Amino acid sequence: MVPKISVKNLNMTYDNYVIMRNLSFDIQQGEIFLIIGQSGCGKSTLLKYLLGLKRVSHQKIFYDGKDINSVINVPGFYGEKIGVLYQGGALWSSMTLAENVALPLETYTPLNRKEIEEIVTLKLSLVGLKGFENFYPSQISGGMQKRAGLARAIALDPEILFFDEPSAGLDSVSAKRLDDLILELKESLGITVVIVTHDLASIFAIGTRAIYLDVESKTITAMGVPHELLASSNDKNVIAFLSRGTKTVQG
Amino acid sequence: MTGIAELEVENESIAIISIVGAWSIYEKHSHAEEFIETILAKPSIQSVELKFVDLKSWDSVLINFLICILNSCEAKNLTVNVDNIPVGIRRLIELSKTSPVRSTSPAGQKKSTILEFIGRVGLLIFFSLRTFLGFTGKLWVGIISFIGGKVKIRGREFALVLQEVGAKALPIVFLISFLVGLIIAFVSVLQLSQFGANIYVADLVGISMMREMGCIMTGIIMSGRTGAAFAATIGTMIVNDEVDALQTAGFSTINFLVLPRVIALTLMMPLLCIFSSFIGIFGGLCAAISATDLTIVRYCAQTAKAVCLNDFFVGIIKSCFFGFLVAAIGCQKGLQCKRSAEDVGLTTTTAVVTSITAIIIMDAIFAVIFSLIGI
Repeated sequence: MVPKISVKNLNMTYDNYVIMRNLSFDIQQGEIFLIIGQSGCGKSTLLKYLLGLKRVSHQKIFYDGKDINSVINVPGFYGEKIGVLYQGGALWSSMTLAENVALPLETYTPLNRKEIEEIVTLKLSLVGLKGFENFYPSQISGGMQKRAGLARAIALDPEILFFDEPSAGLDSVSAKRLDDLILELKESLGITVVIVTHDLASIFAIGTRAIYLDVESKTITAMGVPHELLASSNDKNVIAFLSRGTKTVQG
Repeated sequence: MTGIAELEVENESIAIISIVGAWSIYEKHSHAEEFIETILAKPSIQSVELKFVDLKSWDSVLINFLICILNSCEAKNLTVNVDNIPVGIRRLIELSKTSPVRSTSPAGQKKSTILEFIGRVGLLIFFSLRTFLGFTGKLWVGIISFIGGKVKIRGREFALVLQEVGAKALPIVFLISFLVGLIIAFVSVLQLSQFGANIYVADLVGISMMREMGCIMTGIIMSGRTGAAFAATIGTMIVNDEVDALQTAGFSTINFLVLPRVIALTLMMPLLCIFSSFIGIFGGLCAAISATDLTIVRYCAQTAKAVCLNDFFVGIIKSCFFGFLVAAIGCQKGLQCKRSAEDVGLTTTTAVVTSITAIIIMDAIFAVIFSLIGI
């Protein structure tokens, strides 16, 4: 089976400074794939490479077996194929929540105004923001902005959803609710989810597989099911990173 | 009592450092260097012992003192007895050692030779030019697509930008243009009154406002006001990931962010220029009738006689270009912004400076062109 996303020998740079070398991994259809590691290891930069926001040479990243450079300019790749939830929600501040969610629908679908309004209400209801349609991003809390960002990310029912630190800045109850929502979306829509995170509770609660980016060796030092990684990894950094998680989860 | 360390050598081979008193970053204290020098100066010393006698209190300064001693001794293969170090201090020293050291430093922090510096500046100019040309190309593709109906601009957004760059700019344009007209008239009166040629104040003010000052002053005001606002808005959107979100939602940043702003300012600048020119003439009128014996009717009649339609259109044409330049530079600088608040400030400053410089250069080019074609 062709992986949904495939990365082959990718070298990541930031301002001519190599931050990761020889990254290779596959993400399968329908899994919740986690990119984990210490702060500053390059998780968010890897996300930018996967999203095509940072240029990459040919034959390094593949979507459904096709080179990313040949698919990012195809209409419908962004929005229909992939959706993204950024760390702070990244809502367009000059628009209301409803307008934020409606914009991709207005642009890419032939739906009429009434249907768009209904879908906007549906998406905002899914993230618990029904009734906030006419609020501007500056009028709601950070956690609500993040949920509204998720409503926008799923506006076009994308095949793959990317999350950049979804639980950052959220209290544990809100973070748990977001985790449940991600699981629900994955189960009900069958989407593939890629999450950049260092939230250990989320890693163990929802992760199907994870890769650990090691800041010292500048490459992937562990790949697998989070619980198994903790039990079987020989890498001291991986164990140190994940063992804090077991205490948190058990505690 | 301040933090004091005392050194004594036992049996010529053991250095004993006694640490006493209250060690605080706010108080005078002993420095590790003098002890290290003394220890290293005596090759017979094989080991170092640390003694803590009547240690009242401590903070980072003592930890730093001990780390310096430990590192120096380690480098010279001297044995150090750390058993006496209080538990809290020992933990912090161990913690500082566990922090990983990055093996390479970012490329930007490397020292470079003059040749490397020249090469880097050359590359910077090359890449800046390439970025600007790339941006201009994309912008023109966007404009052509918009004219051809392939790209649509969101009406409400566009109306808001029009209002922001047009109607809301009127008060400041009024104030500056009125004062500029006033100043030109007063300076002219001072000189022309010596020859009894006060009437020509109207000519000077009218022609200079219509041809030059109207469009240049409006351009400069728009650079500082609107161009800076464009750069800051887009820069902040980059910091908040909003531009990335646009891209990953499949929207072209040029069509979505740049095009409405460029079109709005290019459309509004001629109107603001006309407004500025007339207000400047009004300012000149106020100065002339208060400083000379000219009447309102004579001044207006002389202005109408002096200013021809060419002067009017010269100002209009130039203002269209200035509007385009200010908006395009503001947006381009905004899109180049990196991800920090400092960069937003820097981007805004660069946008203002670049667009004012571009306006002056463009005006000089226009002056040459118009003089060649005799307008």
